Amino acid sequence: MNRTLLTVSALAGTLALAASPAQAQRPQYGGNLEIGTVSATISALSFDPGDYAWKTNHDNLHFETLFAGDLDKSIRRGGKFSFKPDGWVAEDALRGELAETWEWKQDPLRVEIKLRKGIMWPAKAGVMDSREFISDDVVATFKRQVSSPKAFKDYYHYVDKVEATDRHTVTFFMKEYHADWDYRFGWGYYSAIYPHELVKAGAGNWRNAVGTGPFQLSDYVQGNQQVYAKNPIYWDSDTIAGEKYKLPFVDRVTYRIMKDEATQHAALRTGKLDILEAIRWQAVDSIKKSAPQLQWAKWLNYSGVFLSMRVDTKPFDDIRVRRALNLAVNKQEIVKEYYGGNAELFAYPQHPDYIGYFEPLDKMPDAVKELFTYNPAKAKQLLREAGYPNGFTFKTQVCSCSPDNMDLLPLVAGYLEQIGVKIEIQPLEYGAFLSAMTTEKHAAGYFMSNGHTNPTRTIHKSFTPGQLWGPSLWSKPEYTKKMDLAYATKDDGERQTIMRELTREVLAEAPYIWLPVQYFYTAWWPWVKNYDGELRVGAVKPAPVYARIWLDQELKKKMGH
Amino acid sequence: MRAYLIRRLLALIPTLFFASVIVFATVRMIPGDIIDLMISQNDISAGKTDREQLEKLLGLDQPMYIQYFRWIGNILFRGDFGSSLWQEQSVIAEIGERLPTTFQLGFMALFVALIVAVPIGVWSAIRQDTWGDYLGRSFSILMLAVPGFWMGTMVMVFPSIWWGISPPVKFVPFFTDPIANFSQLLIPALILGTSLSAITMRMTRTMMLEVLRQDYIRTALAKGLGERGMVVRHALRNALIPVVTLIGLQAPILIGGTVIMEQIFVVPGMGLMLLEAVSRRDYPVITGVFLIVGVAVVLINLIVDLSYGLLDPKVRYR
Amino acid sequence: MSVAVQPQFEALPRQRGPTATFFIRLFREKPLGAFGLIIFVLFLVCGIFADVLAPFGVNQISPANRLKPPSARFWLGTDHLGRDMLSRLLYGAQLSVIIAFTAATLATVISVVLGILTGYLGGKIDLITQRLVDAWMSFPELIILIVVVSVLGPGMVQVIFVLGLTFGIGGSRIVRGAVVSVRENMYVHAAQSMGAGTPRILIQHILPNVLPPVIVLFTTRVGAVILVESGLSFLGFGVPPPAPTWGGMLSGAGRTYMYMAPWLALMPGLCITLVVYAINVLGDAMRDLLDPRMRGSR
Repeated sequence: MNRTLLTVSALAGTLALAASPAQAQRPQYGGNLEIGTVSATISALSFDPGDYAWKTNHDNLHFETLFAGDLDKSIRRGGKFSFKPDGWVAEDALRGELAETWEWKQDPLRVEIKLRKGIMWPAKAGVMDSREFISDDVVATFKRQVSSPKAFKDYYHYVDKVEATDRHTVTFFMKEYHADWDYRFGWGYYSAIYPHELVKAGAGNWRNAVGTGPFQLSDYVQGNQQVYAKNPIYWDSDTIAGEKYKLPFVDRVTYRIMKDEATQHAALRTGKLDILEAIRWQAVDSIKKSAPQLQWAKWLNYSGVFLSMRVDTKPFDDIRVRRALNLAVNKQEIVKEYYGGNAELFAYPQHPDYIGYFEPLDKMPDAVKELFTYNPAKAKQLLREAGYPNGFTFKTQVCSCSPDNMDLLPLVAGYLEQIGVKIEIQPLEYGAFLSAMTTEKHAAGYFMSNGHTNPTRTIHKSFTPGQLWGPSLWSKPEYTKKMDLAYATKDDGERQTIMRELTREVLAEAPYIWLPVQYFYTAWWPWVKNYDGELRVGAVKPAPVYARIWLDQELKKKMGH
Repeated sequence: MRAYLIRRLLALIPTLFFASVIVFATVRMIPGDIIDLMISQNDISAGKTDREQLEKLLGLDQPMYIQYFRWIGNILFRGDFGSSLWQEQSVIAEIGERLPTTFQLGFMALFVALIVAVPIGVWSAIRQDTWGDYLGRSFSILMLAVPGFWMGTMVMVFPSIWWGISPPVKFVPFFTDPIANFSQLLIPALILGTSLSAITMRMTRTMMLEVLRQDYIRTALAKGLGERGMVVRHALRNALIPVVTLIGLQAPILIGGTVIMEQIFVVPGMGLMLLEAVSRRDYPVITGVFLIVGVAVVLINLIVDLSYGLLDPKVRYR
Repeated sequence: MSVAVQPQFEALPRQRGPTATFFIRLFREKPLGAFGLIIFVLFLVCGIFADVLAPFGVNQISPANRLKPPSARFWLGTDHLGRDMLSRLLYGAQLSVIIAFTAATLATVISVVLGILTGYLGGKIDLITQRLVDAWMSFPELIILIVVVSVLGPGMVQVIFVLGLTFGIGGSRIVRGAVVSVRENMYVHAAQSMGAGTPRILIQHILPNVLPPVIVLFTTRVGAVILVESGLSFLGFGVPPPAPTWGGMLSGAGRTYMYMAPWLALMPGLCITLVVYAINVLGDAMRDLLDPRMRGSR
């Protein structure tokens, strides 16, 4: 990827200001870090992990999980991991967070987790006194998560029981191996460990929030800000230039909640934000021009765009029709002209960051490669063979909440019209749009963005029966069986092989018109140090990233902010 | 007067009953219910959550009329508007956090509107059909004609590009730091106020024109009483009626908030709260906000109607 | 009887019709209003003849020509999908004409029917209807729109329906007020005592006499619809793209490219402002000429 190139050119502009002291500078403590996060438009959905709101790790900087990505293995520190995917950490990028070590054992199948000793829950008035974090906390959390009335059915079906073996050891007894075991209760969306005192005081009330994490929630104004103050007794440290520093560096992290894009950009430009994590490519040029000192990184969206075709309706039950529609859309032209190069032709359903699972287009079989070429003549021929020499008309639903998709769909419709296929566009409001799919009442065409999540879930949730996020309704019994096999395979390499085969197969089946995936940009001011645009070290889990950032407050002053 | 008041208050009951039924039923008719939204949180889970389990938890498994009577009963007998289905915070508490800000922004906007409208209205009446009249009115109407979100965006974006400044986005409660609080609300209040000014300006102008045509004024003018003193005196007395009318007309904004200004200037007000509740299908919040805003607006209008009687002896209540 | 039908114009010279008199007075006494009328007519012409005037198709996408500044080929530049801005603005005028006129007509019809019935009949019907109107008007306009668009889904028909209904119910108060004052007039009593049926009285006596405020109401509604539609677009509840509404152009690509391609925001913004301004000054002038009593109503 050319992100190094990008950072270099951005740096060149700031050389005069920032470069000279950058190498030898000693980290500083203190300051307020103001962030427009990836989810800057939405306030917390819930502070209670038992509510199973997807954003819970993002909003609960005060909670920690058993495992987390190891930032020492980030690209910035010479490693190979970007730490940007929203729901995935590679197995070899993991380290223990609340856990010190873990080990798989047989007969019965179980994983034994040794917890770090000496981690303390901070005191919180009206909720709890400071005390040590112990194995019972993990067990109690797990039990509450499983029995929550909002829990997903069978989410932990592979777990037999969880026991506190001793004060600092927890054992998960498994019915069978499950590839997502660490994701589901180790570093996933609903993996936060919280004290039973919090449950008693009311976990849904933000005023009660308390955890072992680097920051503690100190103020919350719905629709405006979430303020997190430094946890002075946080256990973790970072080693910079051979020296060990206690974390976190900054006194306060503030999430600025801003619904309006223009407002976000204005706040970044004027230094009211230190970091803005998600900027659409459309706005990048104008921000660069007006604030040339900003540092930049880009990330390929962790969400694919496609036009799904319901395979249980005519004419999409015919693979020739589905492939024809793919051939009729000039995807290279979309990347080049519509996105102005800010997109990748091929990055869904697997994401290039998914090392070991992703295969680039040139390694794909011809049946897949062909789908990404523009060949309207062949498309017409396929339609003729399928019995639609004059094309046809079909209805496509799209969410009016997504300006990008509302722009893109007419573009796709324009291409299809050239082979005689007409789209009747039906925009729906967010809730209505989503519910059409989850209740399977959606139209033959369904134009959406769907998160990759992680390398297994990305095709599991879309192409196996009984799932919510598979608008094409494409599935095959053998395919499902192979998918189950992948989930039960413990060996990473073996599982990756199976998943690669499954990916190739579904790509060629063309249940979707596969479309390019766009880039997003992260920008930050040069006074933000020990940071290179990393976004998460677990499922929407940014706390360790923010804990390691320090602010060069003199530079900030010198730059007039 | 007392009979009138009692009649108006009694008439509130059917009004609110209609309103509550309409709102209660309507929000549940929005396609894509809260269960669908909650279930689709499970992007990453293995299977479907039990629909029935969630419906039961949220009390949505009962027939709608039972839900309605339970809801209205709790409000009438216990003053309990229920809690958010997502956040478990009580609706009253959420409104309590937002309403003061909305109210404040609304009043600041009204204040701006009057400062702009009354002088222009008076001036354009005195100088009817002159360039001064046209210019003054044109300004006021132009402000009405510019879409608020466009104005707001320009104020947000261009100063940040040209001079590196942008309006504050950090909300500070009034009693913590009144200055910081004011400086965030000032710009949206200015935009909102100037766009509201056209209505009041028109009203003031018409009233002034009427006053100026009265015989006693003409007589006074003929007698050589100073024009300025007279205009000021009458303008002030007559300005009160447009003020009161404006409050009545803008009551929904005063209580219900202005989604657009709140969104652009990051004001945590009622408008955005309701918009978010609608998009999350948080039924108790939507119905609670509607009901409270509705009651408040109706009451404000009642007070407005009553105050006409104090301001203008010609008005009689029937 | 025929004299009584138009008491407003009693004093005017009889040789000219009231319409001609109105226009002469407008141009002679109200230059600002006349200016508004000219702009308004221009806007109507653009809307009606958009198909003839527009140099390009409304959704003629050409990614290679994206974000081109104004030039000899594209007079007002192109947007982010390479569509000609001038053509889209012209078609936008057409769409605005359709939306604004249909919604304003719907609103006026609702106002007139509700206002005349309740104002003339009075009694229980009046009481119940007024309570319903109260309930309706106690909610913020925009919020009602959002809820209704959520229920019905986004689309042009929905926007027209919602705006028509909201403005219609709100406006019924103004019509009702006018009806109540006309009801007590001598000629109505005369007609009643002569045994004229209610429909006949309503149509022959009441309606013509409340016509002036209704005309003003209609005019200002046209402006209000254009403005509110743009606000709805900003919140994502307007007429969805690729329909070329001015509000949609302004709030979508216009805001995104405000700095890099200012013409995207400038042109639709100016169109909205100019037309709404024109309609309002025209409305004010009409109010002055037709119905001096009607003050400050929205």
